[in-house]
Amino acid sequence: MSDNTLVNPNLEFIDEVVGLGGDSLKKCFQCASCSVACPIAPEDSPFPRKEMIAASWGLKDRVVGSADIWLCHECGDCSTLCPRGAQPGDVLSAIRSYAISEYARPKKLAKMVTDKSKLGILTAIPAAWFALMAIITMFFGGTMEKIFGFFGVHWIHHTDAPIAHANFVSTWLVDATFVPLATASVVIFYLGLKRMINDMHENALTEGKTDKQDLDIKELLKTVPTVIPKILKHQQFNECGENKSRGTAHMMVLYGFVGCFIATVIAGSLLYLAGTAGPYSQINPLKWFGNLGGILIVLGAALMIKDRLGKDKSSGYKDWYLLGLVILLGATGLLTEMARLAGSTFGTYLVYYLHLILVFHLFAYVPFSKLAHFVYRIAGMTYAEYANRK
Amino acid sequence: MTIDKAAPASASILVVGGGISGLTTTLEAAETGYEVILVEKNAYLGGRVLQLNQYFPKLCPPTCGLEINFRRIKDNPAIHVQTMTEVVKVEGTPGNYEVTLKTRPRFVNSNCTGCGACADACEGEIENELNFGMDRTKAAYLPHPMAFPATYVISEYISSDDKKRCEEACKYGAIDFSMTETTTTVKVASVVWATGWKPYDATRIDNLGFGRHQNIITNMMLERMASSTGPTEGKILRPSDNAAPKSVVFVQCAGSRDENHLPYCSYICCMASLKHATYLRAQYPDCEITIYYIDLRAPGQRYEKFYEKLKQDEKVFFVKGKVAEVSEADNACVTVVAENAVTGKKVRQTADLVVLATGMQPSLSTEKPQADLTFNDSGFIVNDFEKGGMFGCGCANKPADVVSSNQNATGMALKAIQTVVGR
Repeated sequence: MSDNTLVNPNLEFIDEVVGLGGDSLKKCFQCASCSVACPIAPEDSPFPRKEMIAASWGLKDRVVGSADIWLCHECGDCSTLCPRGAQPGDVLSAIRSYAISEYARPKKLAKMVTDKSKLGILTAIPAAWFALMAIITMFFGGTMEKIFGFFGVHWIHHTDAPIAHANFVSTWLVDATFVPLATASVVIFYLGLKRMINDMHENALTEGKTDKQDLDIKELLKTVPTVIPKILKHQQFNECGENKSRGTAHMMVLYGFVGCFIATVIAGSLLYLAGTAGPYSQINPLKWFGNLGGILIVLGAALMIKDRLGKDKSSGYKDWYLLGLVILLGATGLLTEMARLAGSTFGTYLVYYLHLILVFHLFAYVPFSKLAHFVYRIAGMTYAEYANRK
Repeated sequence: MTIDKAAPASASILVVGGGISGLTTTLEAAETGYEVILVEKNAYLGGRVLQLNQYFPKLCPPTCGLEINFRRIKDNPAIHVQTMTEVVKVEGTPGNYEVTLKTRPRFVNSNCTGCGACADACEGEIENELNFGMDRTKAAYLPHPMAFPATYVISEYISSDDKKRCEEACKYGAIDFSMTETTTTVKVASVVWATGWKPYDATRIDNLGFGRHQNIITNMMLERMASSTGPTEGKILRPSDNAAPKSVVFVQCAGSRDENHLPYCSYICCMASLKHATYLRAQYPDCEITIYYIDLRAPGQRYEKFYEKLKQDEKVFFVKGKVAEVSEADNACVTVVAENAVTGKKVRQTADLVVLATGMQPSLSTEKPQADLTFNDSGFIVNDFEKGGMFGCGCANKPADVVSSNQNATGMALKAIQTVVGR
């Protein structure tokens, strides 16, 4: 060996990856079976063998900023063939969680979201907030009407329905909570992506994984439309041998969220453009999207939970937090509607209250939780496509 | 030597297994003056070593050393050999064991002169186990040209017509179909288990395609082919068309160092593949040989030297990366897929012949006798020297080469003697 490389291990990084579910990391003896077993690894510099050695040597920069970790869909084919039980699939998943925390700011919040003991406080914040919002809506309507009237806007979105969510927590207050939260998340993602994309390019240059010398953001963005259909079709998932069923479950959840998003956009338009307040008629297309979306989310998440419980693969807090959040989001959404249709005012508002807390989790904590993968994975896959990674 | 007659009712030491380790323990103990009963499951002595073409690293034939050992056994009246015999159970305590033995019928008695008339007369054939089923042998046969004892064997599957033909052909009254399985008991002070190993069943390594593609063979199959007493009389040929291979790929750690198969290193496979490369180089000067490995293990100075020499060979290539996938290519060739962990590129190489370097599985791992033995999870005997009495040696104890097996077998002879004399 003529090249001398001084390895400067980041021991903290190793510990963190181990803590995030990559505890089998050190069993790897670099036989490289995994890179062959992986149905989606490229021919040149395939993963996950090189990630395994980089991670166990604490070479954080080689993996955290690599687009490759986002190409892996954790199908588990590598872990099945691994002769050492080193579970490369789980290790890559742990590295991705690390990367999410790495790119998310503020770091403190990122640490809290991945820390089981902080779940209470993270839930208490929205719980207190929405309790306050409910008190304002239910007991200080008169005052609010005066304040809003000052700006020439009506406080109450009028509806004749006996049970309306807006009577419990005003739509104004709901939106005044979530619109800024969503905006903040977008900003956090934007800042994270900016650093991540630069890192991905630098890593690709070092490891010879790109044919582009300079990073052209415009060209990169133009690649996004070629990646989206792949994601919608779950092409990578379907190449997996070991965990094929997970592809379908994941697709259900993804489409469920898309359906709920469409429903939200329609509802927003109806409220703010047409001036019609909810609850809307059951035959309104918005209901189709919302209901179908909710059902898909619950079913898909249930399938994924079943899958995880049945497998001996390691599932940590990051996995259960996300799956729990997803299934509860769907379930409380659907239950709120059912309680309302059943005529239970208390039931409706109680479940709706829980639903709001969960939506808060979704919006406020998304850049820090495993769910952030939907942004980073698109970025990773887009970069690989752009870089002609084959 | 006393052979194939009823063993004495008692002796000092029982050695189970007549491979190189068992032969060594037997000889070392007997030549020190102790009475030894040696039982062997097969119809002949020599075990796995008898299947080998050459020893590494000297590349000399094992038959040479075996011949000397057989001679020593023959000359020693303290050794009692019983072939086709297995241990059913061992009862008692160190210094005082009662061992139940089961002997399968050979259907040939000690009158046999080894003339081969029975085999000539016999028409039916059976799979040749010594050659891993690559060829067939007559149902009345001599297992190996230098089988010891040099007595023919008749398969239990022989047809009644062939029985008649054999009986008529034998001029010495050596054929006896009235023989049946017999059970005997012997009393001994100590038992040494030299039960050895078997090649790991390559069909279980699903991703390496053995059994699906004809031109994927195991290292032990290649060893038999390379041997002048093997199925191809020493020529290494592709099974599909009996053609000389122009390119050969060796897949190291085929099943070994793998938690899904054998979790341990089988110790000999790296050296065996290096040795096989020399066979191929000698037979086919243009043949290109590629060895795919995780890390090449050539322990000790002499093995290291052997490896260094092959590294200099311009027709022998080494790729660091385990073959994890195989598929059939044109002309019955086989394509192997690996990641070259040095260059970080996936390699797809098509070769005429692929050899799986399968490892060793202890024979007792699948059929444990009723005896007070301790096994590890892989089925190797864990020796308890505090308790004493019974000892595992050679590859029954750990994966080992012939040299280490013999050293270990000599040590166990001493341990057995210590038990006999009450320490």
